[in-house]
Amino acid sequence: MVVKMYWISKGFIFTKVDSFVHKLDPRVKLLISIQFFTLALLVSDLIDLAIIFIGIILLASISKILSRLIRTMLFALLFSGIILGINIIAGYSFIYSLQIALRFVAIVCSTSIFFLITSPDELEYVLRWFRIPNDLVFAFVTAVRFVPIILLDALQIIDAQKSRGLELERGNPITRIKNFVPILVPLIVNEVIRSGELAEAMESRCYGVVKKPTVLYELQLNINDKLAIPFCTSIFILGLLFSI
Amino acid sequence: MIEFKNVNYIHVNGIQALKEINLSIKPKTINALVGSNGTGKTTLARHINGLLKPTSGNVLVFGKNTKKISVASLSKRIGMVFQNSNHQLFADTVKNEILFGLNNFETDSQIKKNRFEWALNFFDLKKYENTSPLKLSGGEKKRLCIASVLAWNPEVLILDEPTVGQDQVQKEKMLKFISNLNKQGKTIIIISHDLEFLWPLKPNTIVMAKGRIKKTGKMTDIFSDDELLNQTCLMRPQLLDLWMKLNIKEEPPGDITEATDAIRRINGS
Amino acid sequence: MKEKSIIKFENFSFRYDSANEFILKNINLEINKNELVILAGPTGCGKSTLLRSIIGLIPHMHGGEYKGRVIVDQLVVNDVKITDLAKKAGFVFQNPENQIFMFSIERDIVFGLENLGTSRTIMKERVDSILSLLKIEHLATKAPHELSDGEKQKAALAGILAMQPKILILDEPTSLLDPKTAIDFINIVNDLRKKIGMTIVIVEHRLDLVVGIADKLIILSNGKIIENNNPKQVLHYSNQLIPEIGIPVISRLYRNLAKSNYDFDNVIVTVKDMVKEMRRKKFND
Repeated sequence: MVVKMYWISKGFIFTKVDSFVHKLDPRVKLLISIQFFTLALLVSDLIDLAIIFIGIILLASISKILSRLIRTMLFALLFSGIILGINIIAGYSFIYSLQIALRFVAIVCSTSIFFLITSPDELEYVLRWFRIPNDLVFAFVTAVRFVPIILLDALQIIDAQKSRGLELERGNPITRIKNFVPILVPLIVNEVIRSGELAEAMESRCYGVVKKPTVLYELQLNINDKLAIPFCTSIFILGLLFSI
Repeated sequence: MIEFKNVNYIHVNGIQALKEINLSIKPKTINALVGSNGTGKTTLARHINGLLKPTSGNVLVFGKNTKKISVASLSKRIGMVFQNSNHQLFADTVKNEILFGLNNFETDSQIKKNRFEWALNFFDLKKYENTSPLKLSGGEKKRLCIASVLAWNPEVLILDEPTVGQDQVQKEKMLKFISNLNKQGKTIIIISHDLEFLWPLKPNTIVMAKGRIKKTGKMTDIFSDDELLNQTCLMRPQLLDLWMKLNIKEEPPGDITEATDAIRRINGS
Repeated sequence: MKEKSIIKFENFSFRYDSANEFILKNINLEINKNELVILAGPTGCGKSTLLRSIIGLIPHMHGGEYKGRVIVDQLVVNDVKITDLAKKAGFVFQNPENQIFMFSIERDIVFGLENLGTSRTIMKERVDSILSLLKIEHLATKAPHELSDGEKQKAALAGILAMQPKILILDEPTSLLDPKTAIDFINIVNDLRKKIGMTIVIVEHRLDLVVGIADKLIILSNGKIIENNNPKQVLHYSNQLIPEIGIPVISRLYRNLAKSNYDFDNVIVTVKDMVKEMRRKKFND
């Protein structure tokens, strides 16, 4: 189970890759993703969808993350299968249902590609650029930073309780829910302790002294970004014209 | 009774955590698995009770391949205590904490009662029977973790970094528990980088570095090797160090009393 | 007149809101500028509370009954904010994981400075000087999860040093490290003192790592200070020595031998000292 979860998670979680796209300004990356997202929302026929998929796949291969994006796609296909089924049962035509299902996959992919090419660090800069209040930005940073650590804690706890004879898949539905108590209690206790330590560390490093903290680096568009913006936008407008 | 045959383990993220491990652990011995952080000690230990299965090679426990038995049936005979006590304590009282594993593994109510009493008394927890585990000190929590595992009477006890966060007095108490348990016939495997703590136990020592077993044998033989110490980020126990630096040929002392006697004797006073 | 001491406890007592008993009882203590002080004692004796009352987490974050005064570099802790104290005294906690907030080490180093609204130029200078001071230039753009335990602890230290505190407080900084990494870390801390002159207060269970470099060893037991002296003096002559503090094996051996009328000229805390001393006494020649 852990292996499967890990495999799928790789389709959503950023890891450092050295590529042209990764070096772009995060705002440009956001722009490109939004453009794909909008097109995926607007187009209706299968050929247009196919063109969008080709675009996404091209972008993924330039950014050397194609293998990861395929994982996301497979994961999304699983759900789109369900969507397809429901639509057909609801009495829509097969072609129409297929369009809806594939559009869902395109939307998921255009979102996921943004997270695959943008590091959490860059994401933070984007949030600040949008003038999101510091407390919210910091909440986001902490969440992304500590989710993997909390997951590791959870895995440790599961292992510890399994070694004490806990079998999660044993018994009727009610006992199965009860089986989670020995995992949830230590997890909550650990995270309460952790958040106490975090709060102390934040206080002792002056968190919240000024409303708008300064930031080490500033987002700056370089020549590649300045070229990428008109290039992508013109393709986007072309796409818009064709789909309408 | 525990045997590793050409075991390799590759983690899901593609990192090879164990490389060509061959190892055999004999019954009723005290074994120390030592090495710096992140060399695969814990990964190796988790192969013994089946939490992890080798990517290639085999682990045989009591003659059975771990790939073919469940974690639960292995855990009945192999108890494992994790490094962080807070990762396992969950019950409302010390009593229920001890009963958790016992209820999972034991059906006979008379045996259960006896084992429960034994665990409470052996680990000096009787006075806390109805206390919440969260209210105990670090040392008491660690003892409770060990008690809650030993309650179901496993033949093998694996302790993962038992000394982290423990003070000297708690460590000495633990030393006594460990050697008593061993005298009662338990096989003990301790994962640690605290050689000073392990030294008085005179364990069979397994040294790991970068996923491989570098050397196995007696601590005295292994840690006279400066090169190996450097590779493994460990520090030589002070009594062994003293004996080596003074060029004393006889067996180095296990504790301070022995050392004092030996020095007096050698000095002829 | 210039004060010699930088941290001063005057009749200080503290009881947590949730507890019935005082955890620290009538503490009187002075720590001098540029001293390296070890604080030792059994678990639950009040070490952490003492450290937290230097940087104002007590009483400003953890409330309770507070008696007496704590003065840190001429500031009365009770009268000023935690953030004023943060510029005087930096605190490195036990678990580095929980004090690295940002996704890259250089961003984390300036976390405190960003919060104070420091200018970009100053922050950039500060990052460079601290990275080179701790010799961790290669970690600048790494993410915390790419670091080893030892590197994480150094990164946490870097984040504190960026605020240029005069006092550095370390709460069991090596308890999660393996021995050689722990020695490396302690050496770095000792170098800091030589290079930039800092007052350092450290809680450390492995006394053998620090007794050699410390000026003072303070032992706390049941909320009271029972020893405060040169570490060698304390380890060899104190009558109040409690085993919980983790007395190095070699010092215990020394005490045993001294009891049986071995006459040593020097006080001994390391194996090297012991060997030298025994050679001098023509032991085992």
